[in-house]
Amino acid sequence: MRLESTIRAATGLDVFRRLRLAAYSAGIVLLILILCGESSARQTSASSAVLAERRQITDELGRKVQVPREVDRVVSLAPNLTEIVYALGEGNHLQGDTDFCDYPAEAVRKPHVGGPVNPNMEQIVSLRPDLVLATKSINRRETVNALDRLGLPVYVTDPHSVAEMIASVEHLGGALGAEESAAVLAEDLRGRLTDLDRRLAGALPRRVLFVVWTDPLISVGRDTFIADALRRAGGRSVVATKAEWPHVSLEEIVRLQPEVLVFASAHEGDPQREIDALRKRPGWQNIKAMQDGKIVVVSDAINRPAPRMVDAIERLAHALHPEAFSALGRPASEALVSADSNSIMQEACACAR
Amino acid sequence: MRPLTIKRMFWTCAGLCLLLLASILLALKLGAVPVSVTDLVLDLGRIAMGRANELPTEYRLIVFDLRLPRILLGILVGAALSVAGAGFQALLRNPLADPYVLGVSSGAALGSILALIIAPGVALITPLGAFLGATATIAGVYFLGRREGQLDSTTLLLGGIICASFFSAIILFLMTTLTGRDLRGMAYWLMGDLSTPVSAGMQWIFTVGLVAAIGAIYSTSADLNLLLTGEREATHLGVDVTRVKLVVYVSASLLTALAVSASGAIGYVGLLVPHAVRLIFGSDYRLLIPASALCGAIALVLADTLARTVVSPTELPVGAMTAMAGAPVFIYLLRRGWR
Amino acid sequence: MSAPDTYTQLAGGRVERPEREKTERLNVAQASYAYSASEQSAPTFTLGTISFQSREREIVAILGPNASGKSTLLRLIAGTIAPLSGRVELDGEETSRLDVKTRAQRIAVVHQESPIVYPALAGDFVLQGRFPYGRALRFANSDDVEISRNALAQVGAEHLSARSIGELSGGEKQRVILARALAQQPRLILLDEPTLHLDIGAQVELLERLRQLAQENRYTVVVVTHELGLAAEFADRVVLLQHGRCLRVGTPAAVYQKELLEQVFDAPLDVELGPAGRPHVNLRARRGEDIT
Repeated sequence: MRLESTIRAATGLDVFRRLRLAAYSAGIVLLILILCGESSARQTSASSAVLAERRQITDELGRKVQVPREVDRVVSLAPNLTEIVYALGEGNHLQGDTDFCDYPAEAVRKPHVGGPVNPNMEQIVSLRPDLVLATKSINRRETVNALDRLGLPVYVTDPHSVAEMIASVEHLGGALGAEESAAVLAEDLRGRLTDLDRRLAGALPRRVLFVVWTDPLISVGRDTFIADALRRAGGRSVVATKAEWPHVSLEEIVRLQPEVLVFASAHEGDPQREIDALRKRPGWQNIKAMQDGKIVVVSDAINRPAPRMVDAIERLAHALHPEAFSALGRPASEALVSADSNSIMQEACACAR
Repeated sequence: MRPLTIKRMFWTCAGLCLLLLASILLALKLGAVPVSVTDLVLDLGRIAMGRANELPTEYRLIVFDLRLPRILLGILVGAALSVAGAGFQALLRNPLADPYVLGVSSGAALGSILALIIAPGVALITPLGAFLGATATIAGVYFLGRREGQLDSTTLLLGGIICASFFSAIILFLMTTLTGRDLRGMAYWLMGDLSTPVSAGMQWIFTVGLVAAIGAIYSTSADLNLLLTGEREATHLGVDVTRVKLVVYVSASLLTALAVSASGAIGYVGLLVPHAVRLIFGSDYRLLIPASALCGAIALVLADTLARTVVSPTELPVGAMTAMAGAPVFIYLLRRGWR
Repeated sequence: MSAPDTYTQLAGGRVERPEREKTERLNVAQASYAYSASEQSAPTFTLGTISFQSREREIVAILGPNASGKSTLLRLIAGTIAPLSGRVELDGEETSRLDVKTRAQRIAVVHQESPIVYPALAGDFVLQGRFPYGRALRFANSDDVEISRNALAQVGAEHLSARSIGELSGGEKQRVILARALAQQPRLILLDEPTLHLDIGAQVELLERLRQLAQENRYTVVVVTHELGLAAEFADRVVLLQHGRCLRVGTPAAVYQKELLEQVFDAPLDVELGPAGRPHVNLRARRGEDIT
């Protein structure tokens, strides 16, 4: 009230009229804003008018997708798809990817369209893709629908296991017109897995707790990628529920006493230090694997459905069953594995072959 | 202030329409890809003349297939929420009332989650489930809120709040125990998001329902002016209080249900726009209703434009924007005493 | 302040009131009512039967202690509830049978204050009294504005028309609310405990104004009150209630009997007849008795 009378005294106008003036001048300001800064990014594009010859493919959800015969411009909406595109040798066709695409290093330098969950439609459209890649586990149905509505072809993958991931590689190779490199890559990956099976045949699966998060304690369900990877690496999760990321209680783990604890490295901070801190906490002390140092840290590629996953599986197999690999000269005692770098992985790959 | 005349109402609304037009142009112009207004106007002309295919494709996609539907949805939802908020503030005689206070948004959210669980593959199941959930809540709260045969403000408010918290608890329970990945989209929807346009078949129903409900509330605007002085007083002045309350309740709830089905629960618009309009134009509902509709449309279009551009290329959900802008405005109004 | 016979002048000369100088306007004939918690249970409060009549230009006081049924009787007269037996008629028409609009054109009710959420300007507030006469959105025409201004003038509040109601004092607010009732151009004005929040000067002023307005505009005024002194001084007729029963109807002098009043109000009183024929009531403190 005092403010009002002060204004009234000062300007002679009453508050209502003043506010209305403010409202209308805001309108004028808006108008000015619109008229200023007029620059058009509009290009007359030539390529879009040409309807290249199209072929129809079916994606992993059963959707029919029309792609040009020559797929020249690709946008990836998930980090694992970006990795697969590069692994197929099609990295130069990638026009854009997400903010979270961090491997390989070139992917970080591509134009970004936002996050996988909420990518910016306008950015995607402005990159004029011939094909957009998405995956059911990370991208939203609404994003795919929106791209459909705009007439942009979207190929959606939906792998649920390591074998299906390799199949996805082949399907994507077909979609991108890189069938030969896809076949080579798939054969290589399958070969390595078969080799792994052979080496681990007869070995008792190790009882493993895969720790996704410590506060609260979260592990993996039996239908997840990680569970499948564990099986391939000669392990077996002590947690066997259907839920994807089950919360488990510490007491239950103490009762189950897994042989090995597996953590995925976050690439930040020193895993050794964090694990030492964890060792001192109540409840964790009672887990034998914790005390005995039966701990494995794998790269988080183990949860990304891309070729690197097989590398991570191999390293995990090495750590869980060193005796199966000791013939190749790798030290059997090394139980704690540090965060991966490219060179180490390539070395491991060479060994396993 | 002089009494409200038709002339004053007309000119105020005309001015606000101009402001809305300016906001639409601004929203069409801004975004991850800049667009010039002169080109826009020329293009509109070209489209009107049927020469749409002269426009470069991705430009046309971006402006007319991405931005324009979003803007139109923002206008409709902003208008719906503001009028619903004004209506509830009169019905409940409470300045804190907003469109969601009677539980409609929680019911809609629950409806859409249940729809996603029961029939995940069916197209458009989310808005349909939301609408069904909302209407069920409207009916339920109506029966809870009756006393002696007519709607009682306090009872209605209590019934609505109880329903809202009950449904929210169920929603939390479902979201933590179920593992369906489609539920991830619910987080965006709950925050309020204009990026999914209303499907073609529903557009007409949506618009017609909106206009009808706003019209119904507007027809009672003179009665609402009296109702605010008290129900007894209004009755003695010739207002059919029972009928007016029912009309406002159904219309405002319908507006909320439509808005929430289309875009999730966008907050603060329904609460604050009527108050801002009151501050500038006065409390007369005959002007408040149309002015709130127009100002709500302007506010939401501008908020959505901001949400799209402030951390480009990431898009914030528009509900986050309205909350961030709305909270300071709310505090200001609170200090000023709800005038 | 107001011209003689402004009644027809207020109405712009269009509304005609038949000349009913001496006949009854308000007729309450053996009306009764009962409240019960639910439809099956026994009534918790019964009112009735009550009978009295009143003419134009009369002020009727409905007098009684708290919970004597005064407000219920007021609602019966106002037509918001229908009597269980008997009739309540205004100019021959049952008030509860009228539709809401017509009733608002005939009867104006001034209630005790209810909290005003959005304070309007006094001028707009009085304009609300024209609601029963307007069409759809009730945009005020010049007649309405004229009538509202006259109503404000009649209560001596014309200078307040641009002020917000929230800023007015109790007495000023009461006058504006009365002006709104006048703007309805009613035949009957009902007031429910109008003097509750007023100081004595304002109370007297209100009642005097009511008497004057009733005379000039031919209203019938019914005031619900428990103020013995005011009722005695200003009412032409008194209806005395206790516990829902009508004990006596008549002029103040007839109704104000010491023993009767003492029993109804449960307080020691003295009643004396004043020079104008109006009784004066004095309170006596209990002397020499323990008040426990």
